[in-house]
Amino acid sequence: MITADLALAGLDEPALVEACLEGRPGAFDLLVERHRRTVYQLCYRFVGNHEDASDLSQDVFLRAFRGLKSFRGQASLSTWLYRIGVNVCLNRVSAKTLPSESIDERQFEDARAQSPDDRLLQEERGARVRAAVAQLPPKQRATLILRMYHEMSHQEIADVLGSSVGAVKANFFHAMGNLKKLLGDDT
Amino acid sequence: MDHLKPEEVVDIAEGTRAESSAPHLSTCELCRTQVREMRAMLSAVADVDVPEPSPLFWDRLSTRVRDAVAAQTPSRPWADLWTWPRAVVPAAVGIAVVVAAVLLGSRAPVPPVPGAPAVAANAVNDRDALGTPDDASLNFVADLTAGLDWDAASEAGLTAGGSAEHAVTHLRDAELRELARLIKEEVARSGA
Repeated sequence: MITADLALAGLDEPALVEACLEGRPGAFDLLVERHRRTVYQLCYRFVGNHEDASDLSQDVFLRAFRGLKSFRGQASLSTWLYRIGVNVCLNRVSAKTLPSESIDERQFEDARAQSPDDRLLQEERGARVRAAVAQLPPKQRATLILRMYHEMSHQEIADVLGSSVGAVKANFFHAMGNLKKLLGDDT
Repeated sequence: MDHLKPEEVVDIAEGTRAESSAPHLSTCELCRTQVREMRAMLSAVADVDVPEPSPLFWDRLSTRVRDAVAAQTPSRPWADLWTWPRAVVPAAVGIAVVVAAVLLGSRAPVPPVPGAPAVAANAVNDRDALGTPDDASLNFVADLTAGLDWDAASEAGLTAGGSAEHAVTHLRDAELRELARLIKEEVARSGA
Protein backbone atom coordinates (compact mmCIF):
# COMPACT_ATOMS: atom_id res chain seq x y z
CA MET A 1 0.00 0.00 0.00
CA ILE A 2 1.28 3.41 -0.86
CA THR A 3 0.68 5.75 1.99
CA ALA A 4 -0.74 9.04 0.86
CA ASP A 5 1.29 12.11 1.58
CA LEU A 6 0.77 13.03 5.21
CA ALA A 7 0.50 16.67 4.24
CA LEU A 8 -2.53 15.78 2.14
CA ALA A 9 -4.29 13.88 4.88
CA GLY A 10 -5.70 16.97 6.53
CA LEU A 11 -7.11 18.47 3.37
CA ASP A 12 -10.84 18.91 3.03
CA GLU A 13 -12.59 17.92 -0.20
CA PRO A 14 -12.16 21.15 -2.19
CA ALA A 15 -8.49 21.36 -1.24
CA LEU A 16 -7.96 17.72 -2.11
CA VAL A 17 -9.56 18.23 -5.52
CA GLU A 18 -7.30 21.24 -6.06
CA ALA A 19 -4.29 19.14 -5.08
CA CYS A 20 -5.34 16.50 -7.61
CA LEU A 21 -5.64 19.13 -10.33
CA GLU A 22 -2.18 20.43 -9.48
CA GLY A 23 -0.86 16.93 -9.93
CA ARG A 24 0.40 16.58 -6.38
CA PRO A 25 1.65 13.04 -5.87
CA GLY A 26 -0.69 10.95 -3.77
CA ALA A 27 -3.60 13.35 -3.95
CA PHE A 28 -5.78 11.23 -6.20
CA ASP A 29 -4.74 8.13 -4.25
CA LEU A 30 -6.11 9.77 -1.14
CA LEU A 31 -9.34 10.68 -2.90
CA VAL A 32 -9.74 7.06 -3.95
CA GLU A 33 -8.94 5.87 -0.46
CA ARG A 34 -11.61 8.09 1.04
CA HIS A 35 -14.38 7.06 -1.32
CA ARG A 36 -13.54 3.54 -2.47
CA ARG A 37 -15.75 1.73 0.03
CA THR A 38 -18.82 3.82 -0.78
CA VAL A 39 -18.26 3.50 -4.51
CA TYR A 40 -17.69 -0.24 -4.28
CA GLN A 41 -20.84 -0.75 -2.20
CA LEU A 42 -22.88 1.30 -4.65
CA CYS A 43 -21.58 -0.80 -7.54
CA TYR A 44 -22.07 -4.05 -5.67
CA ARG A 45 -25.70 -3.27 -4.97
CA PHE A 46 -26.22 -2.57 -8.63
CA VAL A 47 -24.58 -5.66 -10.05
CA GLY A 48 -24.76 -8.14 -7.17
CA ASN A 49 -21.31 -9.69 -7.52
CA HIS A 50 -17.81 -8.83 -6.42
CA GLU A 51 -15.96 -9.10 -9.72
CA ASP A 52 -18.20 -6.72 -11.62
CA ALA A 53 -18.43 -4.36 -8.64
CA SER A 54 -14.65 -4.26 -8.54
CA ASP A 55 -14.35 -3.51 -12.26
CA LEU A 56 -17.06 -0.87 -12.07
CA SER A 57 -15.43 0.81 -9.08
CA GLN A 58 -12.21 1.12 -11.03
CA ASP A 59 -14.14 2.56 -13.95
CA VAL A 60 -15.87 5.10 -11.71
CA PHE A 61 -12.58 6.42 -10.37
CA LEU A 62 -10.99 6.48 -13.79
CA ARG A 63 -13.86 8.57 -15.12
CA ALA A 64 -13.65 10.77 -12.07
CA PHE A 65 -9.95 11.35 -12.76
CA ARG A 66 -10.66 12.26 -16.36
CA GLY A 67 -13.50 14.58 -15.41
CA LEU A 68 -11.93 16.20 -12.38
CA LYS A 69 -11.21 19.38 -14.32
CA SER A 70 -14.93 19.81 -14.90
CA PHE A 71 -15.76 19.38 -11.21
CA ARG A 72 -16.38 22.89 -9.98
CA GLY A 73 -17.66 22.14 -6.52
CA GLN A 74 -21.26 22.88 -7.42
CA ALA A 75 -22.09 19.61 -5.66
CA SER A 76 -20.17 17.74 -3.01
CA LEU A 77 -17.47 15.44 -4.26
CA SER A 78 -19.37 12.41 -2.99
CA THR A 79 -22.56 13.46 -4.81
CA TRP A 80 -20.50 13.95 -7.96
CA LEU A 81 -18.96 10.50 -7.52
CA TYR A 82 -22.42 9.01 -6.95
CA ARG A 83 -23.54 10.55 -10.22
CA ILE A 84 -20.62 9.02 -12.07
CA GLY A 85 -21.16 5.72 -10.27
CA VAL A 86 -24.85 5.53 -11.08
CA ASN A 87 -24.20 6.35 -14.73
CA VAL A 88 -21.44 3.76 -14.99
CA CYS A 89 -23.65 1.14 -13.34
CA LEU A 90 -26.71 1.98 -15.41
CA ASN A 91 -24.62 1.70 -18.58
CA ARG A 92 -23.27 -1.64 -17.48
CA VAL A 93 -26.56 -3.20 -16.42
CA SER A 94 -28.17 -2.14 -19.67
CA ALA A 95 -25.30 -3.64 -21.65
CA LYS A 96 -25.07 -7.12 -20.15
CA THR A 97 -26.72 -9.59 -17.83
CA LEU A 98 -24.69 -9.87 -14.70
CA PRO A 99 -24.22 -12.96 -12.58
CA SER A 100 -25.51 -12.75 -9.04
CA GLU A 101 -23.33 -13.37 -6.02
CA SER A 102 -22.26 -16.83 -4.95
CA ILE A 103 -22.36 -18.09 -1.38
CA ASP A 104 -18.54 -17.90 -1.24
CA GLU A 105 -18.63 -14.15 -1.54
CA ARG A 106 -20.32 -13.86 1.81
CA GLN A 107 -17.47 -15.31 3.83
CA PHE A 108 -16.08 -12.00 5.04
CA GLU A 109 -19.21 -10.71 6.69
CA ASP A 110 -18.46 -9.72 10.22
CA ALA A 111 -21.08 -11.37 12.36
CA ARG A 112 -19.25 -11.90 15.60
CA ALA A 113 -22.25 -10.81 17.63
CA GLN A 114 -24.57 -13.37 16.11
CA SER A 115 -25.10 -17.07 16.60
CA PRO A 116 -24.27 -19.26 13.59
CA ASP A 117 -27.97 -19.88 12.94
CA ASP A 118 -28.88 -16.22 13.11
CA ARG A 119 -25.94 -15.36 10.92
CA LEU A 120 -26.96 -17.91 8.32
CA LEU A 121 -30.55 -16.67 8.32
CA GLN A 122 -29.47 -13.08 7.95
CA GLU A 123 -27.07 -13.93 5.15
CA GLU A 124 -29.76 -15.79 3.28
CA ARG A 125 -32.26 -13.00 3.74
CA GLY A 126 -29.69 -10.46 2.64
CA ALA A 127 -28.83 -12.47 -0.45
CA ARG A 128 -32.51 -12.76 -1.38
CA VAL A 129 -33.07 -9.04 -0.98
CA ARG A 130 -29.95 -8.17 -2.99
CA ALA A 131 -30.98 -10.57 -5.73
CA ALA A 132 -34.46 -9.03 -5.82
CA VAL A 133 -33.05 -5.50 -5.93
CA ALA A 134 -30.83 -6.56 -8.82
CA GLN A 135 -33.94 -7.50 -10.80
CA LEU A 136 -35.58 -4.09 -10.52
CA PRO A 137 -35.68 -1.80 -13.54
CA PRO A 138 -32.52 0.32 -13.57
CA LYS A 139 -34.01 3.65 -12.46
CA GLN A 140 -36.02 2.03 -9.68
CA ARG A 141 -32.93 0.13 -8.63
CA ALA A 142 -30.82 3.29 -8.53
CA THR A 143 -33.47 5.13 -6.52
CA LEU A 144 -33.91 2.36 -3.99
CA ILE A 145 -30.16 1.81 -3.54
CA LEU A 146 -29.39 5.48 -3.02
CA ARG A 147 -32.33 5.97 -0.66
CA MET A 148 -32.07 2.84 1.45
CA TYR A 149 -28.35 2.16 1.56
CA HIS A 150 -26.66 5.50 1.00
CA GLU A 151 -29.09 7.53 3.07
CA MET A 152 -29.59 10.16 0.40
CA SER A 153 -32.56 12.49 0.50
CA HIS A 154 -35.06 12.44 -2.34
CA GLN A 155 -33.68 15.80 -3.47
CA GLU A 156 -30.11 14.47 -3.54
CA ILE A 157 -31.23 11.44 -5.52
CA ALA A 158 -33.02 13.74 -7.95
CA ASP A 159 -29.76 15.68 -8.37
CA VAL A 160 -27.80 12.51 -9.01
CA LEU A 161 -30.31 11.06 -11.45
CA GLY A 162 -31.16 14.34 -13.10
CA SER A 163 -34.87 14.06 -12.38
CA SER A 164 -37.48 15.65 -10.15
CA VAL A 165 -38.22 14.86 -6.53
CA GLY A 166 -41.70 13.73 -7.54
CA ALA A 167 -40.27 11.30 -10.08
CA VAL A 168 -37.83 9.97 -7.49
CA LYS A 169 -40.62 9.32 -4.98
CA ALA A 170 -42.75 7.66 -7.64
CA ASN A 171 -39.82 5.47 -8.64
CA PHE A 172 -39.24 4.58 -5.02
CA PHE A 173 -42.90 3.70 -4.53
CA HIS A 174 -42.90 1.40 -7.58
CA ALA A 175 -39.53 -0.09 -6.60
CA MET A 176 -40.96 -1.11 -3.24
CA GLY A 177 -44.05 -2.56 -4.88
CA ASN A 178 -41.98 -4.61 -7.31
CA LEU A 179 -39.67 -5.71 -4.54
CA LYS A 180 -42.61 -6.99 -2.55
CA LYS A 181 -43.73 -9.07 -5.53
CA LEU A 182 -40.21 -10.42 -6.08
CA LEU A 183 -39.71 -11.35 -2.44
CA GLY A 184 -43.19 -12.78 -2.00
CA ASP A 185 -43.73 -14.25 1.44
CA ASP A 186 -40.16 -13.52 2.50
CA THR A 187 -41.23 -10.12 3.71
CA MET B 1 -62.56 9.14 -4.26
CA ASP B 2 -58.99 10.45 -4.72
CA HIS B 3 -56.46 7.97 -3.39
CA LEU B 4 -53.09 9.04 -2.07
CA LYS B 5 -50.47 9.69 -4.70
CA PRO B 6 -47.34 7.49 -4.65
CA GLU B 7 -45.22 10.33 -3.27
CA GLU B 8 -47.74 10.89 -0.46
CA VAL B 9 -47.63 7.20 0.47
CA VAL B 10 -43.83 7.39 0.53
CA ASP B 11 -43.80 10.50 2.70
CA ILE B 12 -46.28 9.05 5.21
CA ALA B 13 -44.55 5.65 5.32
CA GLU B 14 -41.17 7.29 5.86
CA GLY B 15 -42.63 9.52 8.56
CA THR B 16 -41.80 12.82 6.88
CA ARG B 17 -45.51 13.58 6.70
CA ALA B 18 -48.05 12.98 9.45
CA GLU B 19 -50.95 10.63 8.82
CA SER B 20 -53.23 13.30 10.21
CA SER B 21 -52.36 15.50 7.26
CA ALA B 22 -54.14 12.99 4.98
CA PRO B 23 -57.72 12.57 6.24
CA HIS B 24 -58.38 10.25 3.33
CA LEU B 25 -56.37 7.55 5.10
CA SER B 26 -58.94 7.13 7.82
CA THR B 27 -61.62 6.23 5.29
CA CYS B 28 -59.66 4.25 2.67
CA GLU B 29 -58.53 0.73 3.43
CA LEU B 30 -56.61 0.49 0.14
CA CYS B 31 -54.41 3.48 0.97
CA ARG B 32 -53.91 2.29 4.56
CA THR B 33 -52.75 -1.06 3.18
CA GLN B 34 -50.32 0.66 0.82
CA VAL B 35 -48.79 2.65 3.66
CA ARG B 36 -48.58 -0.46 5.85
CA GLU B 37 -46.93 -2.52 3.12
CA MET B 38 -44.52 0.25 2.30
CA ARG B 39 -43.45 0.39 5.94
CA ALA B 40 -43.02 -3.38 6.02
CA MET B 41 -40.83 -3.24 2.91
CA LEU B 42 -38.75 -0.41 4.31
CA SER B 43 -38.07 -2.56 7.34
CA ALA B 44 -37.36 -5.69 5.29
CA VAL B 45 -34.97 -4.01 2.91
CA ALA B 46 -33.09 -2.00 5.50
CA ASP B 47 -29.93 -3.35 7.11
CA VAL B 48 -29.03 -5.61 4.23
CA ASP B 49 -25.28 -5.12 4.06
CA VAL B 50 -22.99 -5.65 1.14
CA PRO B 51 -20.70 -8.63 1.83
CA GLU B 52 -17.40 -7.34 3.08
CA PRO B 53 -14.64 -8.18 0.61
CA SER B 54 -11.25 -9.43 1.68
CA PRO B 55 -9.32 -6.85 3.73
CA LEU B 56 -6.68 -6.98 1.03
CA PHE B 57 -9.18 -5.92 -1.59
CA TRP B 58 -9.14 -2.20 -0.82
CA ASP B 59 -5.46 -1.70 -1.46
CA ARG B 60 -5.74 -3.85 -4.54
CA LEU B 61 -8.53 -1.62 -5.81
CA SER B 62 -6.41 1.48 -5.17
CA THR B 63 -3.52 -0.09 -7.05
CA ARG B 64 -5.76 -0.96 -9.98
CA VAL B 65 -7.08 2.58 -10.12
CA ARG B 66 -3.55 4.01 -9.91
CA ASP B 67 -2.37 1.77 -12.74
CA ALA B 68 -5.39 2.62 -14.86
CA VAL B 69 -4.86 6.34 -14.30
CA ALA B 70 -1.17 6.01 -15.15
CA ALA B 71 -2.06 4.16 -18.33
CA GLN B 72 -4.41 6.99 -19.25
CA THR B 73 -1.81 9.70 -18.79
CA PRO B 74 1.27 8.90 -20.91
CA SER B 75 4.10 11.38 -20.75
CA ARG B 76 3.36 14.00 -23.39
CA PRO B 77 5.30 17.09 -22.40
CA TRP B 78 4.31 19.17 -25.41
CA ALA B 79 0.67 18.20 -25.07
CA ASP B 80 0.81 18.96 -21.37
CA LEU B 81 2.46 22.25 -22.10
CA TRP B 82 -0.54 23.10 -24.24
CA THR B 83 -2.83 22.63 -21.29
CA TRP B 84 -0.73 24.71 -18.92
CA PRO B 85 -1.68 28.23 -18.04
CA ARG B 86 -1.43 30.45 -21.04
CA ALA B 87 1.41 32.39 -19.42
CA VAL B 88 3.74 29.42 -19.83
CA VAL B 89 3.83 29.60 -23.60
CA PRO B 90 5.00 33.20 -23.83
CA ALA B 91 7.39 32.42 -21.00
CA ALA B 92 8.96 29.57 -22.92
CA VAL B 93 9.14 31.63 -26.10
CA GLY B 94 10.61 34.56 -24.22
CA ILE B 95 13.24 32.46 -22.52
CA ALA B 96 14.10 30.73 -25.76
CA VAL B 97 14.59 34.12 -27.40
CA VAL B 98 16.77 35.37 -24.54
CA VAL B 99 18.84 32.18 -24.45
CA ALA B 100 19.26 32.25 -28.20
CA ALA B 101 20.23 35.91 -28.09
CA VAL B 102 22.86 35.24 -25.44
CA LEU B 103 24.22 32.27 -27.33
CA LEU B 104 24.34 34.06 -30.63
CA GLY B 105 25.72 37.20 -29.08
CA SER B 106 28.54 35.37 -27.33
CA ARG B 107 29.64 33.66 -30.54
CA ALA B 108 29.57 36.43 -33.04
CA PRO B 109 30.56 39.86 -31.82
CA VAL B 110 30.14 42.46 -34.52
CA PRO B 111 31.07 46.10 -34.76
CA PRO B 112 28.49 48.52 -33.43
CA VAL B 113 26.00 49.80 -35.90
CA PRO B 114 26.10 53.60 -36.18
CA GLY B 115 23.16 55.12 -34.35
CA ALA B 116 22.19 51.94 -32.55
CA PRO B 117 22.31 51.61 -28.73
CA ALA B 118 25.66 50.43 -27.43
CA VAL B 119 24.23 47.29 -25.83
CA ALA B 120 22.99 46.17 -29.22
CA ALA B 121 26.52 46.03 -30.49
CA ASN B 122 26.68 42.35 -29.66
CA ALA B 123 23.64 41.53 -31.65
CA VAL B 124 24.19 39.32 -34.64
CA ASN B 125 24.04 40.67 -38.13
CA ASP B 126 26.32 38.30 -39.92
CA ARG B 127 24.58 34.94 -40.09
CA ASP B 128 27.55 33.20 -41.61
CA ALA B 129 29.48 33.87 -38.43
CA LEU B 130 27.09 31.61 -36.54
CA GLY B 131 28.36 28.51 -38.23
CA THR B 132 24.78 27.41 -38.81
CA PRO B 133 23.73 29.39 -41.84
CA ASP B 134 21.06 26.88 -42.82
CA ASP B 135 19.29 26.78 -39.48
CA ALA B 136 16.01 28.53 -40.21
CA SER B 137 14.97 28.84 -36.58
CA LEU B 138 18.27 30.44 -35.59
CA ASN B 139 18.05 32.81 -38.50
CA PHE B 140 14.55 33.70 -37.42
CA VAL B 141 15.68 34.36 -33.84
CA ALA B 142 18.65 36.34 -35.16
CA ASP B 143 16.26 38.52 -37.13
CA LEU B 144 14.15 39.08 -34.04
CA THR B 145 17.04 39.90 -31.76
CA ALA B 146 19.39 41.75 -34.11
CA GLY B 147 18.46 45.18 -32.85
CA LEU B 148 17.10 44.26 -29.45
CA ASP B 149 18.65 44.53 -26.02
CA TRP B 150 17.12 44.01 -22.58
CA ASP B 151 16.80 47.73 -21.82
CA ALA B 152 15.08 48.35 -25.11
CA ALA B 153 12.77 45.43 -24.43
CA SER B 154 11.99 46.81 -20.97
CA GLU B 155 11.29 50.26 -22.39
CA ALA B 156 8.97 48.67 -24.88
CA GLY B 157 7.08 47.07 -22.01
CA LEU B 158 8.00 43.53 -23.00
CA THR B 159 9.26 42.68 -19.53
CA ALA B 160 6.35 44.14 -17.57
CA GLY B 161 3.99 42.12 -15.33
CA GLY B 162 2.17 39.47 -17.28
CA SER B 163 5.18 39.01 -19.54
CA ALA B 164 7.45 35.99 -19.86
CA GLU B 165 9.55 37.16 -16.92
CA HIS B 166 6.49 37.52 -14.76
CA ALA B 167 5.12 34.17 -15.91
CA VAL B 168 8.34 32.33 -15.08
CA THR B 169 8.34 33.67 -11.55
CA HIS B 170 4.79 32.46 -11.08
CA LEU B 171 5.09 28.93 -12.44
CA ARG B 172 4.21 25.91 -10.38
CA ASP B 173 6.94 23.45 -9.43
CA ALA B 174 5.98 20.89 -12.05
CA GLU B 175 5.82 23.57 -14.70
CA LEU B 176 9.21 24.95 -13.75
CA ARG B 177 10.74 21.48 -13.89
CA GLU B 178 9.29 20.88 -17.32
CA LEU B 179 10.42 24.29 -18.54
CA ALA B 180 13.94 23.67 -17.25
CA ARG B 181 13.97 20.34 -19.03
CA LEU B 182 12.85 21.92 -22.29
CA ILE B 183 15.48 24.66 -22.06
CA LYS B 184 18.23 22.15 -21.29
CA GLU B 185 17.10 20.07 -24.20
CA GLU B 186 17.13 23.11 -26.47
CA VAL B 187 20.54 24.27 -25.25
CA ALA B 188 21.98 20.78 -25.67
CA ARG B 189 20.59 20.59 -29.17
CA SER B 190 22.16 23.93 -30.09
CA GLY B 191 25.52 22.64 -28.82
CA ALA B 192 26.08 25.40 -26.28
